[in-house]
This record gives sequence, structure tokens and C-alpha cells, in this order.
Amino acid sequence: MSKKKTVFDKNPLFSRSFMSRREFLKAQGGIAVFMAASGVGIMNWPEKARAEDYPDIALSTGVPDQATRTSVELLGGMSSFVNSGDRVVIKPNMSFAHTPDRATNTHPEVVRALAQMCVQAGASRVLVLDNTLHSAERCLELSGIRQACSGISGTEVLALSSARFFQEVELPGALNFRRTDIMRQVLQADVLIAAPVAKSHSATGVSLSMKGMMGLIRNRGVMHSRYNLNEAIVDLCTFLRADLTVVDASRVLSSHGPHGPGEVIRGDIVLASRDMVAADAKTVDLFPWYGRSIRPEQVAHIRIAHERGLGRMDIENLDIRTVEA
Amino acid sequence: MNFKRTVQAASLLFFLALLLLAAFPLKTWFPTDFFLRLDPLVFTGTLISSREWVSALAPGLIIILLTLVLGRFFCAYICPMGITLDISDRVFRPRYNNSFLSPEKSHGLRRVKFWILFFILGTAIVGVSTVFLGSPLSLITRFYGLVIYPLAVHILDLGLDSLFFFYSALGLERLAYIEFQTPRFATQVFVLLFFAAVFSLVLLSPRFWCRYLCPSGAVLALFSVRPLLRRTVSSSCTECGLCQSKCPMQAIEPDPARTRHQECIVCEECVRICPEKAITFAPGFRQADRPAPYWPQRRRVLASVLGGMGTALLLQTGVREVRSDTAPGNLASKFLIRPPGALLEEDFLGRCIRCGQCMKACPTNPLQPVWFESGILGLFSPKILPRRGPCEPLCNICGQVCPTGAIRSLPVLEKTWARMGTAHVLREKCLAWAWDRKCLVCFEVCPYAALELRRVPDISIPVPFVLLDKCAGCGACEFHCPVQAESAVVVEPMNSLRLNKGSYIEEGRAQGMSLEADPDREREPPEDILTEEDSPEALPPGFNY
Repeated sequence: MSKKKTVFDKNPLFSRSFMSRREFLKAQGGIAVFMAASGVGIMNWPEKARAEDYPDIALSTGVPDQATRTSVELLGGMSSFVNSGDRVVIKPNMSFAHTPDRATNTHPEVVRALAQMCVQAGASRVLVLDNTLHSAERCLELSGIRQACSGISGTEVLALSSARFFQEVELPGALNFRRTDIMRQVLQADVLIAAPVAKSHSATGVSLSMKGMMGLIRNRGVMHSRYNLNEAIVDLCTFLRADLTVVDASRVLSSHGPHGPGEVIRGDIVLASRDMVAADAKTVDLFPWYGRSIRPEQVAHIRIAHERGLGRMDIENLDIRTVEA
Repeated sequence: MNFKRTVQAASLLFFLALLLLAAFPLKTWFPTDFFLRLDPLVFTGTLISSREWVSALAPGLIIILLTLVLGRFFCAYICPMGITLDISDRVFRPRYNNSFLSPEKSHGLRRVKFWILFFILGTAIVGVSTVFLGSPLSLITRFYGLVIYPLAVHILDLGLDSLFFFYSALGLERLAYIEFQTPRFATQVFVLLFFAAVFSLVLLSPRFWCRYLCPSGAVLALFSVRPLLRRTVSSSCTECGLCQSKCPMQAIEPDPARTRHQECIVCEECVRICPEKAITFAPGFRQADRPAPYWPQRRRVLASVLGGMGTALLLQTGVREVRSDTAPGNLASKFLIRPPGALLEEDFLGRCIRCGQCMKACPTNPLQPVWFESGILGLFSPKILPRRGPCEPLCNICGQVCPTGAIRSLPVLEKTWARMGTAHVLREKCLAWAWDRKCLVCFEVCPYAALELRRVPDISIPVPFVLLDKCAGCGACEFHCPVQAESAVVVEPMNSLRLNKGSYIEEGRAQGMSLEADPDREREPPEDILTEEDSPEALPPGFNY
């Protein structure tokens, strides 16, 4: 916890009233008391000054592998997210039985780079997880992600869907969508990394880090049918708040997502942030969607997340640094 | 373990292994429908009902020819039904009651199997296949594939489930992450009840099914009147009668030297138990050993054949019997979606032996046995239930494992064009159409890109439309639709492409179809749905204000 800085460190306006996956984990570990005691302390962490050196959003151009490493480096390197012995979950998009050129799944090199960095930072276990839409086996194969991550020690790429891999939890910060089944491995993880591909989405405008969290739960259907989908996504993200978000914009599916085929733009960019909302907002801002420029607040779940204090979409006020990998 | 048991165990294990291997992707060059093709009734019945030489079924003919030499060895050593009955007979055999059927009753009952056989062949003459009623291989494949297999997977999955923490603790995570999707099937209770009845017949006699009912056994009995290899009794016989009481087929006459070869399945139980070692199975030519052959009475045969023909003809007048033609007045059940590559309906029903192998093999479990949706003649034939699972565009396993060619074995590309039906949106249930909810899951999941989003007046979000020329009826939309109970987008067999021969691609193109489902292929993005200019409606789908 000590090394992690979130938007809350900077902006005391944002409430911390909801319990995220991280606090859930701590509570499960029986150190809820510790958390309660240190809750105030987070605001005045001694390393805060150092955090100021890191941008809110790090943006790196170049080939996927290098760009991923550079962008995370700009945020202070993986070791500022992953401590020795940590269990890490990486959530890419690998829900479609498509090859990387379709831009519907995260580029395998991005996932590989992240997994390698986690292992280098001392992670004891790296799980790359998704609950796929298409046949699990074909997704793992065609996306190239399993192949790319084979041979990295302690790393597994898994598509899980059976009930036994999930546990029902309350989402204390949620307004409407207040309980759901989440992968146990995610609940037990010390670090959650969102690694979405940048793509459009017919129902939610874009599908980035926040929308991607739907891949870690069992029953997504109710988010469509019972709730307002955009509100439900924000409800889910109050709990599944990624510690690090890395958006793969090496290729951008700018139209007819999430399935495509649509217009695939060469983005050659990877951007990283501690703030899911900021990362998503910046991605929306960077590229044309259906040939038009879209403002972050035109994406309902980004706007709602901002309004509810989950993160910031006012990218004009954020420290964004660009570097060439 | 004697020779018989060893061969039986090997046969049954081989049968079960092939059944397990009948899965997508197919991992063996060996035909997984091998045992089904050995069934002499499947050969004879399908030959007549389909009016075609089906070379895949030739092994059935080979069994018949071998029977001329070896007798009914098939029943004892190969038939998984017979072997299963041997096992169940040992389990359920009454301990204190050996007063089985009297010889007179037994003799009369033996004829029943011939009546069943000729009844089935009678229906086949009309072009209707009722082989499934009695073919032991069809029945036993259905039993193991649709009842036992799902049960085994379910138990295995629950086992993994309950041991999950144990594995995790041991660090055997690879083991822990194995997922089994339990297949689920309709009519499994009926199949189970049928087999419970067959198993319980051991109360009347061992191998009751084989002795009195099995039409495949009847076919073989017709060809084993004087097999070359036959039971011979030497002069050291003391007529103790042990062999008569132990013969599972009651094939030994009151004079123990005489054998009813048509009933003898060459299991050689008598050889093993004879205290005088007086019995051998050897090539025999002597006339004296042979009792008069039993030929079913001509009148009975005629009555059975006519009964079969009459029944089939009568059932064909049923209002629910499905025909292939699309003329008005032909009721096609909206649930009757046949698997891709199924022949024209009449020919399909003439070929399909309802073994359930396609259902077992299908990776996503939409293939289900039909109950009465297509009349009595369609009983147990496969249909697609998209709500249970979508038909995977790049899978062609159902045709590959079909023993009779009722479902054509197609190359993958051809199969993606074998259209099963057409989806349509139930606008009064659709989240987007009826409730202004952002959903459009159907659009997301359609592998054929057959759903299009359009803006319509009075609805704030784009709503889904099905493109007629692109929909293959795979059911991905219906399966994934988050609307509860009945899906808000449903597939009906409308416009299914059924061809007995020729290319689905050519015919589909000629009909104006465009069923490209290869996800790796570059596709043109669908037409843009944007309206022009900067009005709020002009935003692309999913964006607000």
C-alpha cells in the first residue's frame, strides 16, 4: 500500500467512502482494524512529495512492448505497484476469438510486457484473467496472449467461467448494482492491473478499463437487463478499482466495436495511469470514434465515474507526459 | 478373467473411448462412429429406408457375413449393449429366484424379435427409419452419451469443485483450473426409464433383451442357421444338464448335444462349466447336431412388415409430421432447427438412427433430442436449442460423427454456409427496442455480423435489426441475450438451407446469402449508422448528448 498513489492523494474532494477490492482483501485478512487506523494517514503519506514527480497519465509512443514498459516506467516503474511476493491479476481484453489485427483484444505484447515487469518486480503469481464471450479455448489461442505469456515464470493465462471460480460479494460503494459474483483470484490478488485495448462499444461508447471489469464477474447479463448499464459499470468499478491501468492503443478499433469488424486506426500508443477514469478519458480524447472527435463526458460511464469521485475525466487539468519509446 | 470377459472388457472400453473422443475438435483419424456402423440392423434398415447404398455402413454387412462363419459372436463379444446387459445382469440378478421363464414361454417369446425386426423393416420400406426403436447400438450410444456421460462430467466437476481449496493449497493450480461444462439433455429421463426396464428384465431371464427382443440379433439369427464354427458335444457327456441351465441364451435343446445355433452367441459358457469337458466349438459339418432351423412364419413376417408399413403410412398423415417443402399448409415447428448440414427433412428422418452421437460431440450443447415436436416419427432426432448454446461457426463435428450421413460431413467453410434458420428480434421484449436500455449484446456476439444497429424515431439509442442475407441462424444472439426467460432475439428454422448434395456456398450465394463467418478474415465494416450533422442524434452508438 505504501507505494501506491491514487487520485485521492491529490484531491481531497474525492470521498473514500466506499470499500474497494483492496480493502475487501485487507478486511478478509483480518487487518481491517489496521486499515481503519491508517485511513487518515493515506492522505499524508510521507512519500507524497515523490508522487508529485509522476504524471497522472503517462503516454508512450512506439511498438507495443517498448511503449508498455516506457509508460509504466514514467509512472515510477512496476515496483511502485507490485511488491515482492504480491499476487497480481492482469485483466486484458481477450474475450473474442480474433487475431490481434482485429483490435478487439489487447495486444499480446502488451500483456507479456506487463507480466514480465510484474515478475521482475517480485510478483509471486501473475494471473491473466478474463471470462470470455467466445469459446475460451479459441480466445486464448487466437488472441495470442497465452502463447505470448508462456514461459514467464509464475504466470498463467486463464479464461474462467465455472461457478466455483467465483464468489459473491457486496459492492459497498454501489448505488444500484450492489452484489455480484467476482473471480476468487481477483478477490485474493494484491494488485489489479487493467490492460484493455482501445475500442469502441455500441452500447457504452467505448470499452476501456472500466467496461473491461465486466470480464471479471460471472453474470454480466443483469448489468444490461436489470440496471442501467453505465451506472452498473461504475458500481462495479467502485469495487474493482485497478491499481494500474494500461490502455493498449497500439491499434484502436474506432468503429463497430466491441466485435467489429470496424475501422482499425494505428495508434502506436500505450498509456498508463493510476486512475482508471483518467486513462479512459484520455483515450477517448486521443482518437476519433466513428470519425468524430468525442469528449470524455460524452461517454456516460466515464462522466458518472467522475461525478461519483472514482477518478477524474478533466484531463485538461491533469499532468500528462508523453515520451517516445 | 476368461477369454470372453477380456474381449468384452476391451470392446466396451473401446466403445466408450470412441464415444469420449467424439468431441470437437476431433482428435482421432479412427471413425468414432465405428461401433454404430457395425450394427447389422443399422445397415439393413438404413439401406432400405434411404434407398441408397451407404458405404459407411458396410461394416454391418461384414458382421452379417462373418456370422455365416462364426455364428452370433457379435452379440457376445462386440455389442456394447450385450456387454452392458451382462454387467447389469450380474448386478440385478435375483439371488434366490432361479425359476426363470419356462422353456415353452421362452420358445414363444423368441419370435418377438423377428416381429420387431420385420416391423422396423416395414417402416423402412415406406422410407421411414424406426431403426432407433430397436437398434442396440443406437440405444446404447444414447444411453452412454446422453445419460451416463453428462452424469459423469457433472460428478467430476462437483468433485473438482469441492476439492478446489485442497488443490489450491497444494499448489496444484493447473488441476484446479480445469473446467468441465456439464452437458445437459432433454428426454434423458425417458432414456433412463427405458434402460431401467431393460435391466430389470433380468428378473425374467438373463440377456432378456438379446434373447427375445433385439432386432439386430434377429438379423444375425437369420444368418446363423448353420455357422461353420459351432458347438459340438462329445460322447463323454453325462447329460447332467448344467450347460442347459447356465446358457445365457437358452440355446441348448433338451438333448444337450443339440444346439439352436440361431440363438447361440458363441460365448462358450457351456465349454467352461462342463464338468466332463465334453463341449468344444469347432468347425462342424455333421447334420446330426443340428436341430431344424427356426424360420419365422411367413404369415407373421408378412403381418409384421405390413404392420410396419401401415404404421409408418398412418403416422405420415399426422398433422405435425414435418415435410421439407415450403408450400402453404406444411406445419413446421418453430423450434425444430436441424443441425447444419442435415439432409432434407424426409431424407434426414430416413437416415437418422437417433444415436445421439452428434449431441454428445457438439461442444456447446445446443443439440438436443426432440421429443414430440416433429411428430412421432421425429422422436429423439437432433434439434438445435440456441438458448442452451450457440452453434460454433467453425465447428463441423456433428456431421463428422454422424454414422449414417443424416447430417452431411462438411468442410468447415461449407458448414458455415449451411444455414440453420433466421433470427428475429422480439421488439416487445428487446431491452433497446422496448425499454431504451443500452444493451446490444446480440450485435456484439454475432459471428456473422448479421446484426445491424439503426436509429429509429422515438428511441434514444440505436436498435438492432437482423440482416436476412447474413444470418446463419447459429443462435449466438439468442444464447447471449440477457433478457430473461425467452430471449428477445430468437432463431426459427425459417429459410434454412437443406441440401442433399452440392455446395452450400454455391447455393447460398445463388440465394443472395453472404455467410462469411471466418473471424480471421478481413471484413469490410458494416454500413455506417450515423445520421449527418451535429444534432444530438448524430453521435455514434453508445455516446451520449
